[in-house]
Amino acid sequence: MSNKCVMLPAAGLDARVEPVRGRSVKSKWARDLLTFLMVFGPGLIVMVADNDAGAVSTYSQAGAQYGTRLLWLVALLLPVTYFIQEMVVRLGIATGKGHAAMIYQRFGRWWGLFSLIDLELVNFLTLVTEFAAIDLALSKLGVDPRIGVPAAAVGLVLIAFTGSYRRWERTVVVLCLLDLAWFGIAYGLRPGAGELMRNALVPGVPAGGITADLMFLVIAIVGTTIAPWQLFFQQSCIADKRLRFADLKWARLDTLLGACVTVTVAGCMMIAGNASLAHGFHFSDPAQMALDLGTAAGGFFRNAILLLMINAAVLGTTAISLSSAWAYGEVRGWPHSLQLPVRKARGFYAVYLTCVAAAAGLVLIPRAPLQLIILGVQVLAGVMLPSAIIFLQLLLNDRELLGEFANKPWNNAVNWAIILVLFALSLILAAQVAAPKLFPGA
Amino acid sequence: MATMIRSMENNREERFVVVHPLDDTPETKIDVESLGPMEMTRSVRISLLSLRAYLVLMMVLVLYHVLDLAKVFG
Repeated sequence: MSNKCVMLPAAGLDARVEPVRGRSVKSKWARDLLTFLMVFGPGLIVMVADNDAGAVSTYSQAGAQYGTRLLWLVALLLPVTYFIQEMVVRLGIATGKGHAAMIYQRFGRWWGLFSLIDLELVNFLTLVTEFAAIDLALSKLGVDPRIGVPAAAVGLVLIAFTGSYRRWERTVVVLCLLDLAWFGIAYGLRPGAGELMRNALVPGVPAGGITADLMFLVIAIVGTTIAPWQLFFQQSCIADKRLRFADLKWARLDTLLGACVTVTVAGCMMIAGNASLAHGFHFSDPAQMALDLGTAAGGFFRNAILLLMINAAVLGTTAISLSSAWAYGEVRGWPHSLQLPVRKARGFYAVYLTCVAAAAGLVLIPRAPLQLIILGVQVLAGVMLPSAIIFLQLLLNDRELLGEFANKPWNNAVNWAIILVLFALSLILAAQVAAPKLFPGA
Repeated sequence: MATMIRSMENNREERFVVVHPLDDTPETKIDVESLGPMEMTRSVRISLLSLRAYLVLMMVLVLYHVLDLAKVFG
């Protein structure tokens, strides 16, 4: 590349060179496996954390309303989510910097601040919904939320405040693997294999045709699967982990694996909703669905779904709070790395702590305006997603910045098609939320 | 760059050393600060202009919603 280059340590770390520590292996196969395991993490985490409390609600509602008829849509989103996050991987590895810093430096102060404020706001509102889900699931499990919610918040702070990126990543990967329990739930509640395969592979419209409700749900599924914070999170995570150019193919594999896990788990959530529909239950929220399925299929399903709902909210909270903290630290020029102890990155950890504590505290306030907050999330996410993806696309075409890592023509063709669809869907969603009277029958 | 270091030991057995990214020496990256702001080519200008138009439209929709809630339209 002809660009000016700089030796870049992890954000905020000293540039001192320490002796390289490595593991010695005999075969190429073992080398590749070990390299993948060392690089693996950011892709899986960003994808699984995307199946947060809001996603559990959206996918199970889709199943409870339309059975497995929308499985094809979830399958279709696998390549879409992979293509978008793969661009972030290239950007993160090539620059060693986060997404917020990149927008700020390449598009100037106005767009930088706009992206940062929008991200922080929508992230905070989303965090409130995560804690609302924890509150709801805990109360259904018979745990007092006044104890359970602060305990969850303390746990979330402790896993990030260890001063070790690896410790945080290992803890979160374990939480991600717990999400695989959705496969057990789906297996226990599965409909016929033929029906599943048909609905996953053949696009179709549910009985009743295209209605405003169906459109809203389709947009919600797309919006849940591709969220703005994911772009900021994965790029900052890659920068913090100091992934190298040679790690690119493994980081891509990590992202692809994560996309496969998140999409199949989303399908499992839809199957759980489908079981609720088959038993004739009315869907109000996933916690109530868990109780209903508990009475019909056994206590295991009730407890498993409620616990997985909490796990989803915890994963979502740590990832979203970190995306806020990294972005703020990058733009302010503060030290911002999970590798740093708290005393060396006070501002970064303070943002994380504030996000978690404020969202948890707000949920515990009696009669907090949660519906208004959910509405705010929908509108702001609608504003945020197209703008975040436009910046991503422009950055990935910035040959001065990325050189050989810039998009190829086929990347651009695919990405512009995705952007146009997302733009249209976001516009319809925002219009539906902001001006529901424009949509007769909504 | 020391992700994979191939070494030949005395007994000529091939071995590979795999280094975790966090244990590796910092890698040379693009110096973003020295590049400054992005060049405003025609496509960049059109994209940012479209984004501004989209944001203005969204603001109008939100304003409509607020006015509707305030029963300005009856």
